[in-house]
Amino acid sequence: MAKAQQARSKEHSYPGPVKDSGSAYAASILGLSKSFGKASVLENITFHVAEGEALVLLGASGSGKTTILRIIAGLEQPYTGQIILHNKDVTELPARERGVGVIFQSYALFPKMTVEKNIGYGLRIRHRPRKEVKKTVNELLQLVQLEEHRKKYPSQLSGGQQQRVAIARTLAYKPEVLLFDEPFGALDAQTRSHLRREIRALLKKVNVPAIFITHDQEEALELGDRIAVINSGHIEQIGTPAEVYNSPASEYVATFLGAANMLEGVVRRDHVEVGSALIPAHIDSEKFKEGEPVKIIFRPEDIALSVTQPLPSGRACLAGGIVEETSFVGAYERLRIRLETAGCAPGQTSETPYYLTTETPENQSAKPIIATRPKPETLEVKLQRGDRVFVGLKFFTLLPKTTRNK
Amino acid sequence: MSSLIPTMRHVRGFDVARPLSIGMLVFMMLPLVFLPLLSIFIFGTSKGLASFWAALTAADAIFALKLSMATSFWATVFNVVFGLFASYVLSRYNFWGRNALIVTISLPTAIPTAVAGVALLMLWGPYGILGRLLRPQGIEVMFTAGAIILANIFVTFPLAFGVIKPVFDTMSRSLEEASATIGATRWQTFWHVTLPSLRGAIVSGALLTFARAVGEFGSTIMVSGNLAGRTQTAPLYIFAKFNEGQIEAANAIAIVLALFSFLIFSVLFFARDWLDVD
Repeated sequence: MAKAQQARSKEHSYPGPVKDSGSAYAASILGLSKSFGKASVLENITFHVAEGEALVLLGASGSGKTTILRIIAGLEQPYTGQIILHNKDVTELPARERGVGVIFQSYALFPKMTVEKNIGYGLRIRHRPRKEVKKTVNELLQLVQLEEHRKKYPSQLSGGQQQRVAIARTLAYKPEVLLFDEPFGALDAQTRSHLRREIRALLKKVNVPAIFITHDQEEALELGDRIAVINSGHIEQIGTPAEVYNSPASEYVATFLGAANMLEGVVRRDHVEVGSALIPAHIDSEKFKEGEPVKIIFRPEDIALSVTQPLPSGRACLAGGIVEETSFVGAYERLRIRLETAGCAPGQTSETPYYLTTETPENQSAKPIIATRPKPETLEVKLQRGDRVFVGLKFFTLLPKTTRNK
Repeated sequence: MSSLIPTMRHVRGFDVARPLSIGMLVFMMLPLVFLPLLSIFIFGTSKGLASFWAALTAADAIFALKLSMATSFWATVFNVVFGLFASYVLSRYNFWGRNALIVTISLPTAIPTAVAGVALLMLWGPYGILGRLLRPQGIEVMFTAGAIILANIFVTFPLAFGVIKPVFDTMSRSLEEASATIGATRWQTFWHVTLPSLRGAIVSGALLTFARAVGEFGSTIMVSGNLAGRTQTAPLYIFAKFNEGQIEAANAIAIVLALFSFLIFSVLFFARDWLDVD
């Protein structure tokens, strides 16, 4: 469990909930489980959201992330587990008594109400004085910059504007936590990245804790203070975007969050042996035993390529390889490289006997790896199909080879 | 049709099939609808407006029109309220026998109205299953205005239900869920969120019910007793006067009913956009 982040600066604390002195957590989700019939949808989901924090539940469709959100909102009941919002157990409360703000994927704006009526709805049904409703609606219209659209109906607004109305509508009643259900699913790519920044800025301003659900890793990295990667009903890893991206706790996390290459190796004291190469590594002796087979996970951008030996940055060479394909992807170049069974020693050819240190060396050599190079490097050293290169690793993560249960 | 006569399709850029089809449609509608309707107006006013007015303001005629309007009104009120309730239950809850219930509710559309009349008599009539028990208590359901309302409801209920339920079915659940998470009670959600979206369907359902109920004949004649000045509705009045040979009297009311239904359908047709405005 990642450490709770302390509530951050609250200079604009409008209209965030009153902070409870008892705990730093705005929301705690404890041991949720749920099954439909025999199929288990959620298994022991536990996480906390700190005051003002944005947590992203990232997972493929069908991973159960929507169910988690609906349970927090009170739209569905868990089998076991508790939902604590600001130190109050709301597990048994109906949706309307939880004070949770849900921004639905379709926004679910009331079609027969104008923008201002939509925003004021939460206060009107609470029978607040008309003056107060008007004042709050005005403030929120200003906050989401929709003052000139106040008299319009939802169908007259763009997707992004509708979303801002939906957010303002929930902020009006000072929600304990905001829940965003695939908030950008219905928008085009350009509007999306623009709105992401906008919402992030807005959330910092109002300082309301938020839980996003998404299947889009880019979105998760940009929106979340922390990310929880959900895979078939359980949390694979939870941590800051950098933690989750740079040290994935499982192969699933590594491949779901960006591209990742995987090789197999064996722990050798303070090295990892991959094929015939020995790569210096910091081995956590509590996690890995000497001689234990491991997976080496590395991202395409963590590969150092060179046409000469030794590798320029002083990295240990992993293997030689042949460039199989190059493709230009805008900011960088992507290469597919087939590793040779031979090691890195100059003059070595594939006839040289190969040290069978892993169980399936064929698998490794048969599996091409993907590398990316930034533009300056591609201009300096041109590579094309069939070129021989030496491959080194700038950065990698070790995982136990046997997949841990759960 | 145009594919059968491909050579006729375009004569120097002019689509022959178009005016031909339209002309044919109008020509076919003439003897079927236009001319009969026109005849009652021509005939009804042939003896001058004064006699038309006299026929219209005869005590029994006025009574029949009022009775028709009143019974249709109450049937409509019931249909809208209960139609909403039935649509809500049948579209929001899934339960055993749900489809059977939907079929049962919609069944009266296909039942001959005379059968509906007989059915009501067999239940509430003096010798009916329930009527037999009520009669000694002095409660008479049949042959009253109440009986007419019952018959109207029986015959028209599927109309309001049939218009309202599809709107319920297509209405996004997330609207109601959003309202709930915002803090609304079920009743507040229904009143502020669900009902406004049903406005168009409710008005259409009400108008359809009303138009159909005003014209109801088959079931009404069986359950009302057809007593002039007491339980005689406008369609029954037309029939009775025609049988008595007072064709002008029958015609005057026929004109009123024709104009009335024309009005209702104009509203339905032209106010559609306004009613369904988002």
